[in-house]
Amino acid sequence: MEKIKAGIFDIEGLENVKIEIKEMMGEKIPEEEWAPMGPTPMPKIADLREWDRVLLKRYPPFYAPQCDVCALCTMGKCDLTGNKRGACGLSLEAMQGRIVLLACLVGASAHAAHGRHMLHDIEHMKGDLSKIPIDFGTEINVEAPLTRLITGIKPKTVADLKEVFTYIEENIVQLGDALHTGQEGSALDFESKAYQMGMLDSLGKEAADIAQMAAFNFPVGPGRPLLDVGMGTLDTNKAVIFVIGHNAPPATNICDYVIDHNLEDEVDIGGACCTAIDSSRYSTIVKLACSLGRQLRVIRAGLADCIVVDEQCIRADLLYQAQKVGTPVIFANDKKMHDMEIRDGDDPGEIVKDLVSGNVPGVVLLDPLNVGEVAVKVAQQMKPIRRKKGWTLSDEEFKKQVEACTNCGNCTVACPNGIRIGDAHKLAAEGDISLLASQFDICIGCGRCEQVCPQNIPIISTMIKAAWPLIQAEKGKIRQARGPIFDTEIRNVGAPLVLGTIPGIIAPIGCGNYPNGTKDVYTIAKEFGDRGYIVCLTGCMLIDTGLYRDEEGKTIFETHPDVFDRGGIINIGSCVSNAHIHDAAIKVANIFAQRNIRGNYEEIADYILNRVGACGVAWGAMSQKAASIATGFNRLGVPAVVGPHGVKYRRAFMGRKDREEDWYVYDARNGEKVYVGPVPEHSIIAAETIEECLPLMAKLCMRAADTPAGRSIKLTHYMDLNKKYLGAYPDDWTVFVRGETDLPMAKKAEFMQMLESDHGWKIDWKAKKILEGPTVKYDPSFDPTNLARLIKHKKE
Amino acid sequence: MAELKMAPFDAANIPGPKMGRVTAPVVLGKMIKRAKRPLLICGSEISEDGMIDKAIEIGKKGIPIAATGNAINSFMKKGYTDNVKYFSLHELTNCMRDPEWKGLDGNGNYDTAIYLGTLYYYASGLMSALKNFAPHVTVLSIDRYYHPNAVMTFGDIWRKPEDYQSMLDEVIAQI
Ligand code: SF4
Ligand code: SF4
Ligand code: SF4
Repeated sequence: MEKIKAGIFDIEGLENVKIEIKEMMGEKIPEEEWAPMGPTPMPKIADLREWDRVLLKRYPPFYAPQCDVCALCTMGKCDLTGNKRGACGLSLEAMQGRIVLLACLVGASAHAAHGRHMLHDIEHMKGDLSKIPIDFGTEINVEAPLTRLITGIKPKTVADLKEVFTYIEENIVQLGDALHTGQEGSALDFESKAYQMGMLDSLGKEAADIAQMAAFNFPVGPGRPLLDVGMGTLDTNKAVIFVIGHNAPPATNICDYVIDHNLEDEVDIGGACCTAIDSSRYSTIVKLACSLGRQLRVIRAGLADCIVVDEQCIRADLLYQAQKVGTPVIFANDKKMHDMEIRDGDDPGEIVKDLVSGNVPGVVLLDPLNVGEVAVKVAQQMKPIRRKKGWTLSDEEFKKQVEACTNCGNCTVACPNGIRIGDAHKLAAEGDISLLASQFDICIGCGRCEQVCPQNIPIISTMIKAAWPLIQAEKGKIRQARGPIFDTEIRNVGAPLVLGTIPGIIAPIGCGNYPNGTKDVYTIAKEFGDRGYIVCLTGCMLIDTGLYRDEEGKTIFETHPDVFDRGGIINIGSCVSNAHIHDAAIKVANIFAQRNIRGNYEEIADYILNRVGACGVAWGAMSQKAASIATGFNRLGVPAVVGPHGVKYRRAFMGRKDREEDWYVYDARNGEKVYVGPVPEHSIIAAETIEECLPLMAKLCMRAADTPAGRSIKLTHYMDLNKKYLGAYPDDWTVFVRGETDLPMAKKAEFMQMLESDHGWKIDWKAKKILEGPTVKYDPSFDPTNLARLIKHKKE
Repeated sequence: MAELKMAPFDAANIPGPKMGRVTAPVVLGKMIKRAKRPLLICGSEISEDGMIDKAIEIGKKGIPIAATGNAINSFMKKGYTDNVKYFSLHELTNCMRDPEWKGLDGNGNYDTAIYLGTLYYYASGLMSALKNFAPHVTVLSIDRYYHPNAVMTFGDIWRKPEDYQSMLDEVIAQI
């Protein structure tokens, strides 16, 4: 090869050519120095352990075992009750930590594998990944905050995400190894590992979402159009395709086929779960038929002419259920193939023929580009065949079934929500279907009841029949997902958020395993949106929020703007998109507070824990993904509340406000240890009812750095919500009062009176000042941190 | 009354070798009577099957009550709040794990937790935390369900509200 001599070269005619050199003589070119590298780029298992210990000291794990034995190796089963250890020496406590880590591993793997799978699909569908820029417009300069924070990489093209996934995958394997018999033995270290897994989960989500946003040109930013949501929006005058899952490329191919062939008037695409959300970012022709809890009901109501599934949260008995209503199924992901034949490469006409004739109940098509044509043609050809038959029970059949019920209660004992179906059947047999109809929404559509009914009553179907008018009327709206928050929005709300005058970011996320129906999720979003919190929704909770309307017939997405500002109600996107909620908090530290985020996890988590009032809620948390998501939020300093079923995750992180010693932080100015009170009091906790959940969430938005104006607003909402939902002011409100300026403005005198008479505080009534009482002192230039290394000048 | 069954309300809620003993109401009543620091824990189903009235009767006998979830609203509706305090059951269980906890009244932790009107699966998980990690607390259930994570519990009686109420009366008579 000819050597290039030293000097400046003018290559004529090539002035517009961009040359990117990635490797030189086999050596990687170091990444452009966009920010100084922080202390922990690509942290390994032990690298953030000290931060975990800070958290675990304040929020030690609380375990509620679901099972007191272990049977993970052949030395078992081991009885771990009564402080006994297993044959390998493991305690019940550590075993619980192990199960939590396992759940987080499954969750993080789902997100990361989904992302990696999508890179392969994108490469196949769109070509060279290095030609797909990660550029979300002029309003977003910090495109991948979690990636920058955790790995130190600033990805410029989708190809750069490969390295991110490689990091995640290696770490997941390392952490998985810790689950083996004879590895980790400490519950606290299991939890530190679970935190690490949760962090990887957040990173995997972000990488997956920015990959699909970049590749499929998903829209970004507020002002998104309204979309149809609800089972009643599926139009059976058309051929209906029902897509379920989380990995949207096959569904985008269906959209392409429908649009390219002008079939919008003939074919309806509705979805469940995140595939619905993500494909509706690709094309607004997609309807959000339902969240997880209605999946089986859409199928059993016979609404779908063709079902296309990809991955995660899809029923394992899908084929069996679909066959009951004569609906063919396409499996479009290798994680879920249900013993069907892989038919990529076959003539599409033959595949369609096999499915429509009932020759086979389903097929596997692993190439997303093969899915659209087959799905559309199958749905079109199945429509006339399927419309000949009614799929809901006839009046006579319904009567016969409900009359057959002996109210034995077997179904109730099998039901996760203990629904008294027998009572409802009894009433229905007497002609009153109202109770059975009302149970439709509380039911999570699991199908366990049907399997134990001695009378073989198709309970899902009796409920559908009773609720049919409600189902048809289930027509809501949500805004299309808007993805990441703009840097400009962060600039505008950074100060009010950190000062506390916008009382917090509320993040309803996750699955549909609600204790008492979907209305609660609407109540959460509405209550906080109306109070000026910023409500960022993703996943199934997002979908269900759109089902309800106010007295004027408006959904919450029509009454509130989708801006990241006071009172905003935002569809952030699917489960993987909820990384943008972490990102918003990170960007507050970066853009508003000018903290360097590159490879600097611990400092930013510390910043968020002490300053950014935010609280997640997964009211119907069901999946292992929800476990890893919540754990990732927790490590980053964001607390979360789960619904009562969440206690089955076995582990919570709760603080103890009565233990004063747990609530000291450093003042970074001089290293002094300062008591800040129990803020935020818990890291993750399960609420029993919605009445308990709402005030608790308001409480968990309080932070050490709240200004008096902010604390006063946060306290107002906490007290107000307590009074509204639990009938009285909370017992613990005084621990959050640092001085008279923290008191809720409108009722200052009333509260001062209470402080004096009920709590013995000393008040100077003339000056309207508190003289004695508060245990926490407020200092306007206080700079709270839990990290000794951030202390600027040690006090002598 | 025929002997009640060890059938958990969630059919699969079989935690392991240590399962709650189905116990006669009189015996449960005596256990409560004998407790030095009993606490009645009433959950979000307390307004069903007349349980709220029975809870108030127990409260009137001097046993303090923690009302969890939204149960406090049922007590307020009945105008009885004398020795009733709202507390989250998750948080309460976390505190009870700690022998040094000061209790709702500042006088120390409880030696006996009695459950009534709870949300089954939620309470069951939290009873398991006490069963396994709080040997200083005896867990008793007078709920209408069989609770495997209690030491002593009623059997499965949720289908017969009237029988259940008489069982509660038998308990109360002992206190
Ligand atoms: S892993 Fe340990 S506790 Fe579990 S079955 Fe094996 S020996 Fe027993
Ligand atoms: S299991 Fe069947 S017969 Fe028994 S109550 Fe339920 S629906 Fe009725
Ligand atoms: S399908 Fe519905 S009613 Fe039946 S057991 Fe599941 S949640 Fe209960």
